[in-house]
Amino acid sequence: MPPPPSAPRLGDLERAVMELLWSGAADRPQGASVREVLEGLPADRDLAYTTVMTVLDRLAKKGLVTRERDGRAWRYTPAGTRESLTAETMRASLGDATDRRTALLHFLDGATPEELDDLRAALSEVEQRRG
Amino acid sequence: MFAVLLALLALLLAGVAPRLMARLVWFRRAPRPALVAWQAVSLAAVIAALAAAPAAVPYLRERGWLVFGMAAAVTLLVLGRLLLSGHRVGTGLRAARARHRELVDILAAPDDGGRADGIRVLAHATPTAYCLPGRRSRVVLTQGALAALPADELDAVIAHERAHLRGRHDLLLEYFTVLHHSVPDPVRSPEALREVRLLIEALADRAAIRTSGPVTTARALMTLARGQAPEASLAAAGDGTTAARMRLLASEPVSPLVSAVMYLYAGAVVALPLTLLWLSWR
Ligand SMILES: [Zn+2]
Repeated sequence: MPPPPSAPRLGDLERAVMELLWSGAADRPQGASVREVLEGLPADRDLAYTTVMTVLDRLAKKGLVTRERDGRAWRYTPAGTRESLTAETMRASLGDATDRRTALLHFLDGATPEELDDLRAALSEVEQRRG
Repeated sequence: MFAVLLALLALLLAGVAPRLMARLVWFRRAPRPALVAWQAVSLAAVIAALAAAPAAVPYLRERGWLVFGMAAAVTLLVLGRLLLSGHRVGTGLRAARARHRELVDILAAPDDGGRADGIRVLAHATPTAYCLPGRRSRVVLTQGALAALPADELDAVIAHERAHLRGRHDLLLEYFTVLHHSVPDPVRSPEALREVRLLIEALADRAAIRTSGPVTTARALMTLARGQAPEASLAAAGDGTTAARMRLLASEPVSPLVSAVMYLYAGAVVALPLTLLWLSWR
């Protein structure tokens, strides 16, 4: 029995499994089974069936994949496309006001087009006085 | 007598002092002692409110039940609001960060784009840079940011974000957010929280100046502001602090003497409620 994967390795695996599900989503609209995911991953990873099952279970708990019963097994489908998840992340990051300003620490807290002229003037002041 | 003084002091420190301090623009030129002063004022307000009941204990000897009752009510109310606000803010932040970290870890490999420094790169055109604080912290950039920023400006951005993580600025921000929400609405001052945010940004900018100099740091601000402007006009935009930060980059830091005075002020403010409490028991 292979040793249980450590936390960072699980993170890598989760990403690899998501990539696999995304790239196969067109060919397998009904989702992929644990066996299919295991066979799709590179052979040199030498993974156990239960490890892949654990990874898919974690992804389902995080709401990143959905699963449906198919006979005695489960079939897994990505909960969103890569693009829609990226859009969700960006919305959370750039989205409305207070919450994200405290949850994440930004380099820049947004700027409106009207602010840009003010910024340009301030920049040339910096360049003159500190350059 | 001292119980009443402490309650008044709490009100003064929670309602009046933040409004005055938010107007002291020169505080921004020394962000570290300024943030210490802000913490001192808020801590002293909490101490004063919590000390009202203990300070009223001597009244019980003279059967001054009413005074003690009122002081106890103030203390319990403040304690309750603090705990509730701490719970709400803390839970909300942890949930938002956990979800965001999950998404970032799935979407952005640490070594994408040939970056070996553990920085996560999101495949999105809008240039932005931020960090996810906490035990498993992440610095996140978008491909748009990598495309827009020249190498030296990128270094400034990363130095800024790493300063947030290293200094645990998230805890500082959480502390002030909890206090902000625990103060009743008429007393609470939004300008105080805004000023504290600006000071935290100015503090991280100091780190960027140390690695990249003020001009490069200012240019990095400009580059990202230019790239984000269309986006920001759609969502809720910034609170106008970017220009203030840019102006700070133009100014020289204040002398150590001014910083020393600010630290003294911070110490004196915390000593005030403690002295009153001590006097009440003497
Ligand atoms: Zn920042």
